[in-house]
Amino acid sequence: MPSLTLLGQAVVSGLLAGGIYGLLALGLSLSWGLLRLVNLAHFALALLGAYLTYQLGTSLHAPAWLAVLAIVPAFFVLGMGFHAVFAYFRVTEFASLLVTFGVAVIIESVIQWFWTADYRRYETAYATASLRVGPLFVPTLELLACLTAAVLALATWAWLRFSYVGKALRASAEDPAMAAAFGVNHRRQAFLLSGVSAAYAGIAGAFIALISTLAPAQIWAWLGVVFAVVIIGGLANPIGALLAGLLIGVSESLTMAVVTPAWAPLVSFSVLIVILIARPDRV
Amino acid sequence: MMRAPWRSGFRGVLAGVLLVAFAATVVATPSGPPIRIGGTLALTGPLAPTALLHKIAGEIYVEELNKTNGLLGRPVEWVLLDDQSKPDVTRSLYEKLITVDKVDLLMGPYATSGILAAMGVAQRYGKVFVHHSFGMPHLAKYEMHFPTAAFGPEPNVTLPTTVYNAVAATANPPKTVAIVTSKFPSAQFQSAGARDVAEKRGLKVVLYLEYEFGNRDWGALAARVKDAKPDFLWIGSLGLDSNQLMEAMKKLDYTPPRHFHLFPAPGPLALSPEGKLALSSTVFEEHPPFTSNTGAARLIPLFHERATKANLPYPYVDTQVAGSLAAWQVLDAAVTATKSLDDKVLGQWLRTNRVDTIIGKLHFDGPNNYGEDLFKVKQVHDGKWVVVWPREFAPPGARLLPP
Amino acid sequence: MSTPGRRAAVGLLVAALGFAALAVVGLPAFYESFLYMIFSWIALATSWSFLSGYAGYFSFGHGAFFGAGMYTTATLTTVLGLPFLATLPIAGALAAALGAGIGAVVFRVKRLRGELFGLLTLAVGFVLATIVLNTRIDGGPGVYLSSVPLPRLLASPTGTLYLLGLALAVATVGAAYAISHSRLGLGLYAIHDDEDVAEGKGVPTFAYKLLAFALSAGVAGVAGGIHAMYVSYVTVGETFSITVPLYVVLMSVLGGARHWLGPAVGATLIASSLYAFTGGQQALVGRAVVALALIVVILLLPDGVVPTMLARWRRWRPRRLDMAPVLAVPPALAAPPAALACEEVWRAFGGIQALRGVSLRVEPGEIVGLVGPNGSGKTTLINVVSGYYTADRGRVTLGPDTLSARPAHEIAALGIARTYQIPRPFAHFSALEDVALAATFGPARPTPRQARAEAYGWLEFTGLARRATALPHELNLHERKFLELARALAGRPRVILLDEVLSGLNPGEIASAIRLIQQIRAQGVAVLFVEHLMRAVLELCDRVVVLNEGEVIAAGSPRDAMRAERVVEVYLGKARVVA
Repeated sequence: MPSLTLLGQAVVSGLLAGGIYGLLALGLSLSWGLLRLVNLAHFALALLGAYLTYQLGTSLHAPAWLAVLAIVPAFFVLGMGFHAVFAYFRVTEFASLLVTFGVAVIIESVIQWFWTADYRRYETAYATASLRVGPLFVPTLELLACLTAAVLALATWAWLRFSYVGKALRASAEDPAMAAAFGVNHRRQAFLLSGVSAAYAGIAGAFIALISTLAPAQIWAWLGVVFAVVIIGGLANPIGALLAGLLIGVSESLTMAVVTPAWAPLVSFSVLIVILIARPDRV
Repeated sequence: MMRAPWRSGFRGVLAGVLLVAFAATVVATPSGPPIRIGGTLALTGPLAPTALLHKIAGEIYVEELNKTNGLLGRPVEWVLLDDQSKPDVTRSLYEKLITVDKVDLLMGPYATSGILAAMGVAQRYGKVFVHHSFGMPHLAKYEMHFPTAAFGPEPNVTLPTTVYNAVAATANPPKTVAIVTSKFPSAQFQSAGARDVAEKRGLKVVLYLEYEFGNRDWGALAARVKDAKPDFLWIGSLGLDSNQLMEAMKKLDYTPPRHFHLFPAPGPLALSPEGKLALSSTVFEEHPPFTSNTGAARLIPLFHERATKANLPYPYVDTQVAGSLAAWQVLDAAVTATKSLDDKVLGQWLRTNRVDTIIGKLHFDGPNNYGEDLFKVKQVHDGKWVVVWPREFAPPGARLLPP
Repeated sequence: MSTPGRRAAVGLLVAALGFAALAVVGLPAFYESFLYMIFSWIALATSWSFLSGYAGYFSFGHGAFFGAGMYTTATLTTVLGLPFLATLPIAGALAAALGAGIGAVVFRVKRLRGELFGLLTLAVGFVLATIVLNTRIDGGPGVYLSSVPLPRLLASPTGTLYLLGLALAVATVGAAYAISHSRLGLGLYAIHDDEDVAEGKGVPTFAYKLLAFALSAGVAGVAGGIHAMYVSYVTVGETFSITVPLYVVLMSVLGGARHWLGPAVGATLIASSLYAFTGGQQALVGRAVVALALIVVILLLPDGVVPTMLARWRRWRPRRLDMAPVLAVPPALAAPPAALACEEVWRAFGGIQALRGVSLRVEPGEIVGLVGPNGSGKTTLINVVSGYYTADRGRVTLGPDTLSARPAHEIAALGIARTYQIPRPFAHFSALEDVALAATFGPARPTPRQARAEAYGWLEFTGLARRATALPHELNLHERKFLELARALAGRPRVILLDEVLSGLNPGEIASAIRLIQQIRAQGVAVLFVEHLMRAVLELCDRVVVLNEGEVIAAGSPRDAMRAERVVEVYLGKARVVA
C-alpha cells in the first residue's frame, strides 16, 4: 500500500504536470472554439518558443523572463500573420488541420536546421529548486508554470466574459451573420485572438525549455494528451482547459504512484471515455 | 561522400599528371568507378538525435578512406538515405538501395526496429549486413549479419552481471535494487534481465517499474523511487529520460546513493549536476587503454572537429560513435582482406576471422553471430565519463567511487 | 449500371490488371514495395472516408483498427502458428468487431458528434495501445515475424505483399464507389449534412453508421494484418503512433473526403511525397518543401483535389439534366390510407412538462389544424409523432401500427412525413437530390432512376423544377419552404405533418401553397397542419385542435373551436388581430 506521502507527492506532481497541459491547451482551445481553427502548429510554435528561450539563455545569457518578454510580442505578430493568411484564403475547419500540419512540419524542419536533431537541455541554477510543504516538495518551476496557466486562464476567461472584444468574439463564433448584423467587426478581433493564442504558445514554450528537454520531434509528443484536455475542457473555455489539464495530470500521476506508470494512459483516457459516454452534455 | 563521378575521374587524371611530374613520389589516390555503400539513417523524426552521431561517424570514416587509398584502390561513395525513423520506410529504402541504386555493399540503419526491417531485406538478397546499434541479439537470425553493438548473445544476463559485479566490489555493496525502465523494446529487455539477475544474486528488488516511451510526468516516478529507498537504482533510460528522472528526484530533495543508466544521452548526463557519479555502460571512452585501439588516434580528432562544427553539445567519441566507426572498420577489413565485393566471400571471411576495431577485437562466431559482451562500466568523474570496471580498462588512478 | 459507373468500374479494373501485370513482368523490388506502401495508404485513407468522409464522423481511431489488425496477424502467426493469409480475414473481422462495438455504444449518444467523436476515437487508440503494451499480446519487447512463412504468389516475397496491397486497395476503392452510389452512401451523405433530418426521412442512421464504421475498421484491420508482415517487427510505439490517424485525415481532406476517389488521390500524393526527398543531404529541406506544397494545394483547392478538379471540368463541360417529362402529379400514397391517432401523450423536458396527455385523431383525407400560442407544445407533438422524441407516456398509432417507441426512420417508412418550421435542406444536396433522398428511403423503395424521376415530379408539383440543380444556399426562403414540402411528399406519406409552412411567405405564395395542400389532401393523405396564420387555418382545416401549455383546450370545427371561452382567454386579443 503506497504511503500517504507518496500519494500526496503524486497528487502534487500530477497537478503541476496538468498545469503544463492546461497552459498548452489554452491557446489551442481559444483558436479552435472561437476561430474554428484546429491549430496543429500550436505545438510547433510552443517548441519554437522553447528553443528561442534556450538560445537566448545559452548564447546571450538572457534570463528566461527576458526571453519571454521578447518572445511574446514576436509571437503575437506571428499569430496575426497566420491569421492574415487564413482569413485571406477563407480556410475551413478541416482545411485548417492540413495547413497547420504543414506549418508544424516546416517549423520542425527549421528547428532541426538551426539546432540539429540532437537533444538540447537548458541548464539553469534554479532548475531543481523546490519548496518544502510539510513532507511534500513542490518544484518551483512547475509551480510557476501552473500558476501562470491559472492566471492566464482566469484573465482570458474574464476577457472573454466582460470585455466588448470577448463578447463580440463569442457572438461571432456562435452566429457570424447575426454578429455582423449588429456591427461586430469579426475580422479585427480574430486577428487579436490569433495573436494572443500564439503568444500563449510562446509562454508555454519558455516553460517547456526550463522544465523539459528539447528535440525537434517533440512537437508531436504532446498532441494526443493536449487535444484530450482541450475537448474535455470545452472549446473556448479557458477555465475548463485548465481544470481538464489538472484532471488528466492527477489521474495519470496517481496511476503511476499506485499501479504502474505504463498503465497511466489507460486510466486517464478511460476516464475521458466514460465522461464522454455517460455525460456528453457536461463536456 | 556523394561525390560526382566526374570529379573522381578528374582526380584520377590529376593523379596521373602528378605521377609523371614527380616520378619518385607516389600519391595514393583512389581511382576507378566508386564502390557504393548504401544505408539509411533516421535523419528526421524521433530517432534523429542519435542517428546524427552515426551520420558524422560514417562521413569521417568514408572521407578518411578516400584520403588514403579508398577500398581496393577505388573511391568509396556512401549512398545515405533518410528513413524518417520509420521501419516500413527503412525496409523499402533498403530495397531501393539493392534493386534500384544497385549498391555494392550495405551499412545498417540506426536502432533496433529499423535494423530488423533492413535485415529482412538483406537476407532476401543475400547481402552482407553490418550494423551498429542493435539491442536485441536473440532476434537476429540471419547468418550474414554482423553486429558491432557488442552486447554478446545475452546482454540481458551479461550486462547486469558486469554492473552488479562492479558495485559489489566496492566497500559498501548494495543490498536493495530499484529498477525503473522505459518500455522501449531493447531497454525493457535488458532491464527485465537486470531484475532476474539481481534476484539470482540475492539482491532484493524493492521496486520494478516500466514507463511508456515518451513519458511526460517524472514527478510520480521520482516519488516512488524515493519511497522505495534503494541502495542502487537501475534506470533503463533512453536519451534524456535519465536527466529528467534525476532532476525530478532532486526536486524531491532526493538523490539515490548509486544510479546506473542504460542508454542515456552521454553528454547531457555527464554535464548536469545530477549526473554526478552516475554509472553507465560503454564499449569506448577517450582514454587509455581504449585510445590505443585500432584507428582511435586517427578518428577521435576528426570526430571532435566535425562534431564541434555541427554544433553538437557533446562532441566526444563514446559507445554510439565508436560502434558506428567499428561497423565501417569491419566492412573495410573484410573487403581489404578478401579483395572482393562478393557477399558470400565477405560473409565467409567475417564469420571465421577476428577484426581489430576501435572498440577492440570483434568476432562473429558465437550464437546469432555475436562474440562476447564487450561492455564495461563507466562513471561520471568531474563531468567526464571514465571507465571504472573491469579494473584493467580503467585509466591510471581511476576507480569506482563509492557514494 | 449508369455510364459513369461503368466507366469507373472499367477504369478500376484496367488499373488493377495493369498493376498486377507489372508485378508479373517483374519490377525491381523497390517499386513493388513503394507501390505497396501507396496501396496500403489508399486502402487506409479510403476506408477512413466511409464513415468520416461520407457521414462526417471524424475519427482519429483509424490507427487503433490498423493496430488491432497488425497485432492480430502478429499474434496468430507467431503464437498459434496460423498461416499468414488465414489471419487476414480474422484481422479484418476483429477490427470490424471493435469498430462495431465502439459504434454500438457511441452512436447511441446523440451528442457524441463532431470533435467529441474524434476525441473518443483518439482515446480508444491510446487505451488499446496501453493494453497491448502491458499485456501478453506484446508486453514491451515487440513481436518479430521473421519465421512466419510468406506464401509466394509471385517470384519475390515483396511481390506477394504488393499483390495483396493491390487487391486490398482496388477492393476498397471499388467498395467506396459502390457505397457512394448506393442507398448506404446516400444515407451517409445525408447524415453528414443533417443527421436528425436524415433519420426523419427514413434513413436508418444508427445501422448505417454502424455498418460504415465496421466496414471502415475492417479494411484498416486487413491493411494492418498485411503490414505486420511487411515490417515483420511489430512494436507498440510504431504501430499506435499518431502517424496513421493523422495521415489518413490529411490524405482524405487533401484528395476530397466526400468523393469516392478523393482519399485515394490524396494518399497517392502524400505517400509518394514521403519518398520524394530521402537523399541524405536534402531530407530536411525536402520535408519542408513537401509541407509547403501541402499548404499551397489546400489553400488553392480547399474542397480537396478531386472535387475541385471535377467542378472545373463540369464548368467547362456543363452537365445537362436530362429528365423525362413527368406525368402530372405522382401518386402520393404508397400504402392504404390510415388515420393518425395520439392517445394521452405525455412528454417532459427536465422539470418542464411540454405535453400533458394530448389526444387527437386525423382521418385520411382530413386536414386538422393544430394551433396554440408559442410554447404550447405544437412542435413537440410533431417531434413525438415523427419519432424525434419518444413519449414518456401514451401512444401514437397509424392505422393498426403503434408508432411510439419506434425509431424515427421506421416511422417515416410507415408513411409519416414532416416539414420543418425553419427549412433544413441538406447543405450539399441539390434540390433534386434532396427530394430523391426522401423518395429513396420512402416506403415505395424505388430504384435510383425511379427516385430521381419521382423527385423531379414533386419538384414540378411544387413549382421548383427549374431549380432542380440548385444547392440550398442558392434558394430563397419560399423555395426552401416548398422544397420542404416536396421532399415530405416524396416520402409517399399517409400522414403529413406541416410545421408552419406558410410563415414568411407573401400572399401570392401563400395562395399557391394552400392550393398544393388541398391537392395533397385530395389524394387521401391525412394532414396535421400547425399554423399561426388564422386565415389559412380557417380556410383549409376540417377540424382544429387548440393546445395550451401542453394540453388540448378545445377541439372541433375551426369556427367553434376558436370561439371556445378558454381559447379566447389564452389568445386574449391576439387571435383576433391575426385573424
